[in-house]
Amino acid sequence: MDSANGKPLAPDNNWLTTEFFENRRKFPEAELMKYAGKHIAWSWDGSQIVASADSMQELHEQVNALGLDSSRVVYSYVDRPDAIYV
Amino acid sequence: MRFSYTPFKTQTPVISLGGRSSRPRPVVCVGVVGPVNANPVDAVIDSGSDETLFDESVALSIGIDLTNAPACPCGSILDQIVTARFANVTLRMTDGIEFREWPAWVGFVPNLRRSVLGFGGFQQFFTTTLYGDDEIVELVVNRLYPGI
Repeated sequence: MDSANGKPLAPDNNWLTTEFFENRRKFPEAELMKYAGKHIAWSWDGSQIVASADSMQELHEQVNALGLDSSRVVYSYVDRPDAIYV
Repeated sequence: MRFSYTPFKTQTPVISLGGRSSRPRPVVCVGVVGPVNANPVDAVIDSGSDETLFDESVALSIGIDLTNAPACPCGSILDQIVTARFANVTLRMTDGIEFREWPAWVGFVPNLRRSVLGFGGFQQFFTTTLYGDDEIVELVVNRLYPGI
């Protein structure tokens, strides 16, 4: 893998960057919990939630309706705080 | 590649974890690449899952037609059975330091809550170490890894 300034270079611009992971870690927990039980789409830099829906299919429809590039958001789900998952 | 577990807040203290107010889960982001598009999706690494599974809407979004796809019943420990339909995609993953991309057969099911990285398509290609003390997952490509 090539590197610049000691940092590895992504093969192209379709890869998430360390900025995405850092921003997501810093995202306020209280804000995230407003989406508990929802499917969400993160912005490419991980700094904001750009869409949410009750199902993944509805989320895809919403991302498209908003004119967002579906390959430049990150699809996720916010687990309910009252449930265990097996 | 190394990833920290993601803490998920709980409403009540977790008895088994000494009363802490979150549950750590090994959730990572994987890119699912098809003929016309890619979808980056959060997925949980599950050593008990036979297969790697995504919601059917991901297949539609990346340009995969599941009409004649090979299918098989997919059950969970809660005894629910759904049909998973399989297709060959490219998966892509990075921790910001290491970049990995490989071909994989993965399943698509309706109304999936969270995508799952199971043995088929994922763990067959990585030595996966789950560090319970540090809440970190480490993925090292193995000799079967077919990608770059």
